[in-house]
Amino acid sequence: MISRWVGLLAVRAAARLAVRLIKIAAAAALIVAAAPVSVCAAIGVWTAWLAGWPPARLYRAALWCAPMVAVWLAAIAITRGWASVIQAPYQAWRAMWRDGAAGAYLAAAAVIAPAAIPAGLAAGGLAWSYRIRSMQAGSGGLSPAAAVAFDLRQWRHQARIARARIAAPGSVPLNSRNGDLIAGAVIRAVGHPARQIAAIPYQRMRSHQVVIGTSGTGKTTLLLRLWAGFVASALHRHYAGTGGLPLLVVLDCKGGGDARRIADRARRVLRAAGAAATAIWPDEASLSLWTLPPGQLTTTLVDLIEHGTGGAAYYADIMEAVVGLAVDAPPGPPQDTADFLVRLDPGWLSMAYAASEHDDAHALIRAAGRQIGDIALRFRTLFRRLGSGLDGPGGFGDADVWYCILEGTGQASVAESQARALVDLLASYATAAPSGAGPGGGRREILLAVDEFSAVSRRLPIWQLYERARSLGLAVQVSAQSWPGLAADEDERYRIAAAADGGIWLLRTPHPEPVAALAGSRKVMDTTRRLLGAPLWSHQGSSRMRLAPVVDPALIRALDVGQAAYIYRGGATYVQVKRLVAAPAAVGTPTAAVAMAREAAVPGTAAAADVTSATGPAAGVGAMADGRAAGNGAAAPSGAPAASGAPAASGAPAASGTAAASSAAAGSGAAVELGASRPALPAARTPPGLAALLDEAFGKEPS
Amino acid sequence: MYGVQLDHLARVLGVSQARARAIAAGWRDRRLAESARLGPGGPWIWLTRTGLASCGLAYSAAPPALGRLAHIRAVTAVRLALESAAGYATAGAYWRGERRLRTRAGGRVGLREHFPDGEVHWPSGAAVAWAGECWAIEAELTRKTVSRTTAIMRELLTRTGDYGCPAAEARIPGRPARHARVLYLCAPAALSTVARARDALGGAAARIEIRSLPPDAGSERAATERAAP
Repeated sequence: MISRWVGLLAVRAAARLAVRLIKIAAAAALIVAAAPVSVCAAIGVWTAWLAGWPPARLYRAALWCAPMVAVWLAAIAITRGWASVIQAPYQAWRAMWRDGAAGAYLAAAAVIAPAAIPAGLAAGGLAWSYRIRSMQAGSGGLSPAAAVAFDLRQWRHQARIARARIAAPGSVPLNSRNGDLIAGAVIRAVGHPARQIAAIPYQRMRSHQVVIGTSGTGKTTLLLRLWAGFVASALHRHYAGTGGLPLLVVLDCKGGGDARRIADRARRVLRAAGAAATAIWPDEASLSLWTLPPGQLTTTLVDLIEHGTGGAAYYADIMEAVVGLAVDAPPGPPQDTADFLVRLDPGWLSMAYAASEHDDAHALIRAAGRQIGDIALRFRTLFRRLGSGLDGPGGFGDADVWYCILEGTGQASVAESQARALVDLLASYATAAPSGAGPGGGRREILLAVDEFSAVSRRLPIWQLYERARSLGLAVQVSAQSWPGLAADEDERYRIAAAADGGIWLLRTPHPEPVAALAGSRKVMDTTRRLLGAPLWSHQGSSRMRLAPVVDPALIRALDVGQAAYIYRGGATYVQVKRLVAAPAAVGTPTAAVAMAREAAVPGTAAAADVTSATGPAAGVGAMADGRAAGNGAAAPSGAPAASGAPAASGAPAASGTAAASSAAAGSGAAVELGASRPALPAARTPPGLAALLDEAFGKEPS
Repeated sequence: MYGVQLDHLARVLGVSQARARAIAAGWRDRRLAESARLGPGGPWIWLTRTGLASCGLAYSAAPPALGRLAHIRAVTAVRLALESAAGYATAGAYWRGERRLRTRAGGRVGLREHFPDGEVHWPSGAAVAWAGECWAIEAELTRKTVSRTTAIMRELLTRTGDYGCPAAEARIPGRPARHARVLYLCAPAALSTVARARDALGGAAARIEIRSLPPDAGSERAATERAAP
């Protein structure tokens, strides 16, 4: 009985083995018989594995072969008749083997290619899809850990291909044909369409966005790219007559030398994107607080001064009343700081409201008489600390880009006041539709980008900024180094992140969980596998659906420099951001610069000594610096007269170093032009021959 | 220049309009230039970003603004007329367009400083009495107010610094003026205003030259009609 049972088991095992061998033999025979298709499929799968492609890429490649197949079939139909079309693949297969047997391998490949390539790519797509799904489900590979290794390897492949794509010249333009912003190359997409290029529709830049990433992860590169894309897209739309001119306002709330370096880089990058004028506030440009409407000006001035709560509210009310009197005085609102400070005086206010119909104002002046001096003192102190950046001239309409540097790290209280004033000014500018004939009636499309706003948001909560921006049609882009840096408290952070309907950009950060959670979760299949004995696992087990996060926090922590996850509508696209290369600063060709400096310098001056020793490419820079030195030297009392641009004793015009210095400072990237620095000679009379030249070109002077 | 109309391009290249059209089409094929019929007359041609880069120009690429087409055409006509004068080429003078001046100013905010439509630089060694001078060129198509025109003239005549220099160096008392003279090319409508503005300048008026715009400064059709007997 036992021997019969053992025999039965042996027969069953042998039968199973035979069936398995038959299956393998059949599969091998099929693979060999369809060798061209198998080879194409293998190449497709291998390429997809190496490049981290999704299966859809292989399917698309197969579809792109359709014209070739159509031409092939059409040629057969024309030469052999329509009946042959159905048999064409079979005949091609036979011809391939026949030519192969005869040693004509090239002819064999040419004969079968039209049929084999699309079929092979489609088969490869199916095989690759099966592989990916089995790995994602946890059923593929020799061990359950194989899926993890597969995913990591695929990430490396995808990242490598994305880096190669952004390195290829011209492969990642700033904008697409339809005006979308292109941030870089796609590494991987989860819940988003898998594309090669990460294109963000322009309208998302008109919505709120959040950018989080620690320093050194490529946050500035990403921001510059988004800003440049916004400016270029908006200009494109404006020229097409579908939108207003762009206005980008950046509030860099960290300050310091780093902010200035970024500002300079932003200026050069944005100029290449079409922004003609970039104002760097308060270093190079100023804004006028006094252009605010009187009502708003009063509120802003009062808010600039810090006052406590409780009993201090009494003094706040007095201050508001006095400031209101000064601003709304009959002579009109103050024109500048000095004008305003003069008004904070009981005598001035009494004179201004001297007419009898201002009895109420007189009562106020009498009541607040004792405090007016204190209020003036506080404002005098405030304006001294604020500097001249808010005292004009200038307005947001003067430039395409305003890069505002707030010293939030060094002088937090000053930066808070400045932030408050800048936001009020921008709100006022956005509200008052400027007259203009352009699309939108001259109204500009404004993007307010704030970096580390939490450093200055004590008196202007960022959610309030969001609310105001929303009501004014402004888009706000908030960036921070970490989740806690986004706002002061957790509620505010979630409020900001939840309002980011333009998407969230997440770069490497040590605590990405709160933001990753905002991306939501997706359903994935989870499979358990039976352990046969270490290290063998069977392919039997059970599967169930579970929820997995769309954005893997571990992946975010491991992101490389320049990699970012763009979270939008429950999906995430991992992007390798393409760095925008700014145009170099304005340094002329060495020969031109040296020649100019030589012209500028006279023997015996320091500039001349430096120029004569300057050679090679570095000499161009040195010579430009000398030009600046010559100009500066001229301004000093001891400066050489000839270097100042005044005519030399011989009568030959001497060049001032001003133009050389200015071109170096301009950052325009334009070549230095000889002659641009030549001073014009006084021309009181028309020199002989000039009238003849003009008459020849334009005719006689009209009467 | 921001863009050029086909007839002017043909003049620059010294070829017929048909040939200029073919050349422009070649540029378009190579994505160096774009062309379109933006207004009356022939098509406009302007350089793309690639075209600007291949010319070594760091300007931002954009089609000519529709509202400025007439002005751009007038300035181009002025430049061509001036460059066709024998004395211009002999002296080796060269033109700096408004676009270049604005680029030199770079991203800096000039806070509403006025840019001339062009500058003509006369090299120092040239055999002309005005060698070493820099002229500002203004093409006036429409009538401004006299006070505004006077202000512009005064601004051009008193400027000492190059465009793009720090604001503090734009006007330094005691330094020689940047523009030795200002050449106004006026349409008939603007002529009287410019003349009155010059009269209001006083002594500096001697540095203002006024002439009529060249015949081809208007629309191409008008230029053709004027040229016909």
